[in-house]
Amino acid sequence: MQYFNTTSVIHSTAIVVWLFISNFCLALADRDANVVINNEALIATSQEKVVKLYGAGGARGLESYQSGILINNSGHILTSWSTVLDVAKVRVVTFDGRRLDATMVGMDPQNELAILKVDDAGLVGFDLNKAAQGSTGQRVFAISNLFGIATGNESCSAQKGVIMASTSLTTRRGKTKSLYQGRVYVLDVMTNNPGAAGGALVDLQGRLVGVLGKEIRDEQAGIWINYALPMDVVKSSVDRILSGNTSSQISELKPVAQPHRIVDLGITLIPDVLSKTPPFIDQVREGSTAQRAGMQTNDLILLLNDQRADSRKSLEKMLATINRADSFYVLVQRGQELIRIHVRP
Amino acid sequence: METTKAQTMIVRFARNGFGGRVAATSLMLASVLSGSVDFAKAACIVQDEPVKAEVAPSPNEAVLNAQNQRIEAMERASRATVAVYGTDGQGGGSGVCVSADGYVLTNFHVSSPFGHRMRCGLNNGTMVDAVVAGIDPTGDLAVLKMVGRTDFPVASIGDSDTVRIGQWCFAAGNPFVLATNLQPTVSYGLVSGVRRYQYPSGTILEYSDCIQTDAAINPGNSGGPLFNIRGELIGINGRCSFEKRGRVNVGVGYAISIKQAMNFLGQLKSGRVVDHATLGFTVTTETSGRVAVSNILESSDAYRRGIRYGDEILRLGDRDVATTNQLKNILGIFPDQWRIPIRFRNESGVVETFIRLQSLHLPSELEEIIKGESAQQKPPRKPQEKDKDKEKQDTPKEVKPAAKDAVDELYVEKRGYSNFYFNRLELERILALQATQGRWQDTSKAWKLNGEIQGENTNVEMLLSDENLIFRLGDKTETLHPSQGWPKWIKQRSSIGALMGMRIWQQWNRIGPRLMGEAVYLGRNPVVGREGLLDVTRITVSDFDAMVYTSPETGLIQVVEVFSDKQTDPVELFFDKYETVDGRATPRTVRLVYGLEAQFAIAIGTIQVGEATAGSGL
Repeated sequence: MQYFNTTSVIHSTAIVVWLFISNFCLALADRDANVVINNEALIATSQEKVVKLYGAGGARGLESYQSGILINNSGHILTSWSTVLDVAKVRVVTFDGRRLDATMVGMDPQNELAILKVDDAGLVGFDLNKAAQGSTGQRVFAISNLFGIATGNESCSAQKGVIMASTSLTTRRGKTKSLYQGRVYVLDVMTNNPGAAGGALVDLQGRLVGVLGKEIRDEQAGIWINYALPMDVVKSSVDRILSGNTSSQISELKPVAQPHRIVDLGITLIPDVLSKTPPFIDQVREGSTAQRAGMQTNDLILLLNDQRADSRKSLEKMLATINRADSFYVLVQRGQELIRIHVRP
Repeated sequence: METTKAQTMIVRFARNGFGGRVAATSLMLASVLSGSVDFAKAACIVQDEPVKAEVAPSPNEAVLNAQNQRIEAMERASRATVAVYGTDGQGGGSGVCVSADGYVLTNFHVSSPFGHRMRCGLNNGTMVDAVVAGIDPTGDLAVLKMVGRTDFPVASIGDSDTVRIGQWCFAAGNPFVLATNLQPTVSYGLVSGVRRYQYPSGTILEYSDCIQTDAAINPGNSGGPLFNIRGELIGINGRCSFEKRGRVNVGVGYAISIKQAMNFLGQLKSGRVVDHATLGFTVTTETSGRVAVSNILESSDAYRRGIRYGDEILRLGDRDVATTNQLKNILGIFPDQWRIPIRFRNESGVVETFIRLQSLHLPSELEEIIKGESAQQKPPRKPQEKDKDKEKQDTPKEVKPAAKDAVDELYVEKRGYSNFYFNRLELERILALQATQGRWQDTSKAWKLNGEIQGENTNVEMLLSDENLIFRLGDKTETLHPSQGWPKWIKQRSSIGALMGMRIWQQWNRIGPRLMGEAVYLGRNPVVGREGLLDVTRITVSDFDAMVYTSPETGLIQVVEVFSDKQTDPVELFFDKYETVDGRATPRTVRLVYGLEAQFAIAIGTIQVGEATAGSGL
């Protein structure tokens, strides 16, 4: 709870700061007599770079929608890596109401980020080279499609806030259900609502400062945390994904004559009943290769040699490309932890 | 960059013995100043001498001016903000006063748990009694009337159509029923979205065309005002996105646009249970993006105006329609029976016309809904914390004897009405206005009118008496019963409709609406070809309804409509060019219209009205 004590202090001071800064902003208004218009223009421009995403979900409290950010002018969309993306084509709705289909370029489980791509539709995105670093006390705007309020050509929602703290989510390990354990900006405004993940955090110049994360709730206090991933974290993911380190181009790989097979590794996955059944480990056989490597029941296999295994079928396909004699790496999600496992035959 | 300086500052503050809190503040201030607001850098120069609290940079004058302007706007806006309580001081919500005689806009879901009587807390710390006037269960609005003063502070009405995402706004009200001293709580925020459509959730409450804000809207804020940064009223706060996080603000609050509230204000002051509207057709957004008619009632006004299955709707109520949501948004801000402009495209081209909106619910349906809502909703509870006893003491208690009478005088229960008293009050207001335009009560029962059809040289003569109505047009003569058998003529679009309109006009002036049939004041509606909104009274006579539109300024009849049934266009008689003849305001021309098609205009020569004492003969 130490973290929270600190937060409360920060919070009260943040309010003071907030009043202070908003004065500055109004002061600017007086200077050029149009800060209100500036705000409007800034948000209008930024919101053209935020898209509404629709995919899987809709049941058991899992939303089937979230937000995404255009990160260049070639149709790349950065978003939160979530179950929403577990569909063949994610539906993208742009600010002007166009409906486009996106394919997954890759994902970075570490930062829970993914990149989608839509065919060139003349969309203008944020310039990541001009992205800015946020600092504590700085005023920001959050733009996202929280609660899925906007549809079609309706504008995403804009909220104002202050970066209350720049801290690490690891402080909260064990209390929150977050896969991501890295650095975040904690915000003083209720941004991280259903559907907000993948939304943009921009500064007063309209530069991207962060990306809104998924909903996180403190299980003990019942408090929801509002936060964004800083741009240096985001950029490292973007670089990794775009450089192909976490690509999902299974088709490029050729099956080998004597590949690994799930059954030989000594694991049983949950039955393949969906078009994209997640590769959850149901059982690990005593004394098997998998057990020796450290795999456990209920592990969810995310990556195989840094490639995304988004379903049981794709996992099988990918295993078929690895020679039985070769070792490989898997990244599994166990509870709220990500564990990298080296599997040696 | 400046971060290092900022850090230096912290160290110095810390050395000077300030606590961690100050250090944190200064860190933030420093970062803010250095990071985001360039011109502020100058004010943040770290001095070489040891820093003391007194030498903090003096605020920029522009900053102070801006702050003072905001303070002034909030103070002004707060004065018109009221807290709404039950008679025992329990429960509660917010409201905003929109007229000096004490009409308050609030949410239906705020007023409904209290019955007809409640209490309003004013910003100056006083409590006054209030009574509910009209309610709009669909749009979640209610109008209350505060008693005891004629100089209540009034909110200045803004233009919600010009509200844009990114503008600053603030909500005022009584969140969590905290305002034990009745001072409204102000929360500042950003306009997060405009023209939002919120589907009905479980109830019939439908929020269309609303303003979304991140200004904190919590339980108790309901019914309270949302202001723009200049302190002008732009909305009535009412709903939040809550879902799984409990009933507290999650950064998404919705306000009913003040445009919608003002559209409904006239209807709400009528003491009625006000209804929303349907177009008489439904639409779908086709894959091509066309918003096309997918179903249409043949009995609807829209059908009679030429709209057919498959036609594309381009504009409604002077706003473009590109999606089904937009259409719903636009429709939601209008009361039923309003006539609004529409533009549509069929095979032969683009058509501009007006359609009369139909009621969304049957009166019985609305009654059921109100019963349900009132039973369902208990007044929101006060915070259950340790101060409970203290709060009870602080909460102003009911002042019983004298106040009770004042409110009771303003309440008349009647089936189908929220408070029938206000319907009578409005009708009396109209009649009082009309009375200033000359005394018609003294005239005889039989009137004779002479005139001619404009541009045709055809003579027109009307004899209006309680025995029968005679209409001579050129060499043709028709006789009409004074109060029955009209529908068959209306269905034929007969020119005798002019006689009907004149008869309504005669009776309205001579005996008044209440003796003509069942007279109900509906509110204020627009009329095609007239500026602004007109007072509307509906009179149900034997087998037809008459709608009488009068000017809110003069009380003079502008239009009379006579309806046979819902499937038929009514008679519309327009009264133009009033002149004072023998001390009575008299129209010089009347125009007959059926379904927007002008039939003819009569230039009125003389109207012989006789004197009541002279008997009925002419």
